[in-house]
Amino acid sequence: MRALPGPGGPRAPAPLLLLLLCLLAAARPSWADGHPSASPVTSLPVREEMMAKYSNLPLESHNISLTEHSDVPVEKNITLQRPSNVELICQFTTSGDLNLVNVTWKKDDELLESNYMINITGSIMYTLYTVTIINSKQMGSYSCFFEEEKEQRGTFNFKVPELHGKNKPLITYVGDSTVLICKCQDCAPLNWTWYSSNGSVQRPKGSQILYIPVKELMAIRRANKKNVPLDVQMNDKYVINGTNANETRLKIMHISEEDQGSYWCHAVFQLGESEERLQLVVLSYLVPLKPFLGIIAEVVLLVAIILLCEMYTQKKKKQPDDGKEFKQMEQLKSDDSNGIENNATRHRKNESVSQ
Amino acid sequence: MTPKPAGPPDGGWGWVVAAAAFAVNGLSYGLLRSLGLALPDLAEHFDRSAQDTAWVSALALAVQQAASPVGSALSTRWGARPVVMVGGVLTSLGFVFSAFARSLLHLYLGLGVLAGFGWALVFAPALGTLSRYFSRRRVLAVGLALTGNGASSLLLAPTLQFLLDTFGWRGALLLLGAITLHLTPCGALLRPLTLPGDAPAPPRGPLAALGLGLFTRRAFSVFALGTALVGGGYFVPYVHLAPHALDRGLGGYGAALVVAVAAVGDAGARLVCGWLADQGWVPLSRLLAVFGALTGLGLLAVGLVPAVRSEEGWGGPLLAAAGAYGLSAGSYAPLVFGVLPGLVGIGGVVQATGLMMMLMSLGGLLGPPLSGFLRDETGDFTASFLVCGSFILSGSFIYMGLPAALPSCRSASHPATFPPERGELLPAPQVALLSPGGPHSSLDTAC
Repeated sequence: MRALPGPGGPRAPAPLLLLLLCLLAAARPSWADGHPSASPVTSLPVREEMMAKYSNLPLESHNISLTEHSDVPVEKNITLQRPSNVELICQFTTSGDLNLVNVTWKKDDELLESNYMINITGSIMYTLYTVTIINSKQMGSYSCFFEEEKEQRGTFNFKVPELHGKNKPLITYVGDSTVLICKCQDCAPLNWTWYSSNGSVQRPKGSQILYIPVKELMAIRRANKKNVPLDVQMNDKYVINGTNANETRLKIMHISEEDQGSYWCHAVFQLGESEERLQLVVLSYLVPLKPFLGIIAEVVLLVAIILLCEMYTQKKKKQPDDGKEFKQMEQLKSDDSNGIENNATRHRKNESVSQ
Repeated sequence: MTPKPAGPPDGGWGWVVAAAAFAVNGLSYGLLRSLGLALPDLAEHFDRSAQDTAWVSALALAVQQAASPVGSALSTRWGARPVVMVGGVLTSLGFVFSAFARSLLHLYLGLGVLAGFGWALVFAPALGTLSRYFSRRRVLAVGLALTGNGASSLLLAPTLQFLLDTFGWRGALLLLGAITLHLTPCGALLRPLTLPGDAPAPPRGPLAALGLGLFTRRAFSVFALGTALVGGGYFVPYVHLAPHALDRGLGGYGAALVVAVAAVGDAGARLVCGWLADQGWVPLSRLLAVFGALTGLGLLAVGLVPAVRSEEGWGGPLLAAAGAYGLSAGSYAPLVFGVLPGLVGIGGVVQATGLMMMLMSLGGLLGPPLSGFLRDETGDFTASFLVCGSFILSGSFIYMGLPAALPSCRSASHPATFPPERGELLPAPQVALLSPGGPHSSLDTAC
C-alpha cells in the first residue's frame, strides 16, 4: 500500500488523516499480498515539500469507471495547457473478491512505483494517483490496471490544446489580401508563430519564419546571429495580430502567385507545442472569367431566340390575314372591271388593310 | 380593328409565364436564401462579425420588398416585360460589382442596394403578370411559381458551395452575376396581355402609377393591415428556425432536418393548396384566414416544444411542429397572391402585388431583429416564436374581416353570385355600382 499525502493549502490537515488511515490499513493482513512495502514515513516529508511548492497550482480531478465485463479499454482525453496538480481516480467493480485484485499504474509503458493509493468501499475498489504536471515530460498517457482473471485497463491521455485552422484550402486572387486564422478553444498560448513553405505537408526544417514579435526578434538576434529571420520589408506584406489570446491572424497583402502553398501556425504552451496547417490557393482573374463570359453569351442567345420566336409567330399570325386580304384584293380587282361598285369596294379594302 | 380582348387565357402561353415566374422566384428569393452560405467567408475576409455580414442579405431582402411598388408602378407604365429584363441586368450588375468589393460597404451597395433593387423590379411584375394569365387555375399557377423558391434552394445551395470551394467568394459572386442574368430571358417570356379590366391609358403620374388609390377600398385596406401583421412573424422562421433547433439540443444534422422538413412541407403545400383553392369549395378569403391562423399556431407550437434530452434524440415534437408550420405557411403563400384579383380587380393586380410586398417588408424588417432581441433577453427562442406566432394570429384574425364572397373568378364549378358571362366578366351595371368613380373605375372590373 502506498501512502498518499494530499496536496497542500486548505487541505493541509488531510495528509495526516490519510497517513493514519494508511498505517491502519497497513496493519490489515489482506493488504499484504503482492505489494512491495516501502516505509511511508520516510518518503513523506519529501513529497509534502514538493506538494507545498506546487500548492498554488490548480487541481484537476478525473475519473474512470471499470467493471469486470469491460471489453474495450476505457480512455479519457484530457486537455491541459497550464501546469496543474492532477488526481486520477479509477474505480473497479467486480462480483469476485476485491482483495484478490492486483492494481498497477503505468505512465506510457513505464511502471509507476509511488504516488498512488488504493481504497475499498463496499464492493467498489478505488485507486487514486496524484501527479504534478509542470512540463512536457510529464504529459503523456497514464493507465491504471486492475488484474483479476482478465486485465482491465483505463487510460488518461494528456494533451496540449489542439489548434483549429480551416479544413478547406483558402482561395484568393492575385492582388487581393487575405487573412489566415488559427484558433484554439479556451487556451492562452505563450506565443504564436507562423511558418510558410511550398509544397510539402510536413513542416520542413528550414522553412521560413514569417514574422516574430519584436521581443522574440531581439532575443533571437542576441542569441544566435545566424538565424535572423526574414527582413523588415516583409512587414508590408504580412501582419500578425490576434484580437483574443486564443487566436492568431496572419494577414497577407498584395498576394502573388508565389504565395500559394502551406502555412503553419505554431503555438507554444508551458506543457508542450501544437501546430496546424493551412493551405492557400491563388488564382488569377481569368479563371472565373471564362465561365462567366460563356454564361453571358448563353443568356444573350436565349433572349435573342425568345424575341425572334415571338416576332416570327406574330408574323405568321399576320400572314394568313394578309393572304386573305390578298385574295380579297384579287377578287375585288376582278370585280373592279365591273364598274361603279369599285368605290365602295375600294373603301372596304382600305378599311381592311388599315386594320 | 383589333378584336375585343378575351378574358384571361387560363392556360396556353400562361404555363410558359408560370415557368418564367418559377425561375424568377428561384433566382430572387431562392438565391437570397442560399446567399447565407457565402457570408462566413465574407466575415473572415473583411474581419467583421457575423452580424455585420448578415446585414448584406437583410438589406437585399429589405430593398427588394420595400421597392416592390416601384417595380409594379414601372411595369404598369411600360409593361412587365421591359421592366423585368432591366431588373435582371441590374441584379447581375450588382453581383458583378460586389465581386470586386474592397470593403463591406461595397457589398452593402452592390448586393444590398443594387441587386435588391433589381430584384424589386422583377418579382412583383412577374407574379402580377402570371395572375393576369389565369383565372380558374390562378392559385395553382401562382403556387407552382412560388415553389421556385424551394426548388432553387435545393439546386443553388450546393452549386453555390461548389463555386465557393472552387473559385472563392469573389469568383462565386462573379458567376452568380452571370446566373442571375437569366432573369432577363425570363422577362422576355412575359408577353403583354390586354384584358378587359385594364385601364385604357397608362396612369398619369408616379403616384397614380404606384396604385396608392387602392388603399381607399375597405377590402384592400383590411387585407393590407392583416398582411403587415403577418409579415411581422412570417420571416422569423427563415432566420431563426435552425438556431432554435440547435438551442433545443438537436445536433447540426438534426437542425438541418428540421429546416428541411419545414421547407419540403412549405413547397408541397404551395402546390396542393393552389390546386385545392382553385376548386372553389371554400372562398379564398376564408382559406387565407384559416391557413394564416394555422401558421400562427404552428409557430406557437415550435416555440413551446420542450428541449431534447440528448443530442442523439431525433427531436420528434420539433419536427412535427416544423412540419405543421411548413405546411400551413406553404398553403398561405399562394393564397395571399391569389386573393388579390378578387380584392382589386385584374387591372390592379400588379400594383397590388407591389404594395403587398412593401407591407410584408415592414414586418420583415421588424420581425427578425425583434426575435433576436427577445432571444438575447430571455435566453432562448421560446418568447421569439410566441411573439411572431401571435403576430400571425392577429393578422389572420383581421383577415376574417375580409368579404367572404369576393367577386368570384370561378365559372361553372359552383353557382356564383354573379352570372358568369363570356370570359368571367362582371356584368357592366354592377361595375358602375362598385366603382368609387374617377380614374380608378377601370380597376374595378374583376377577374
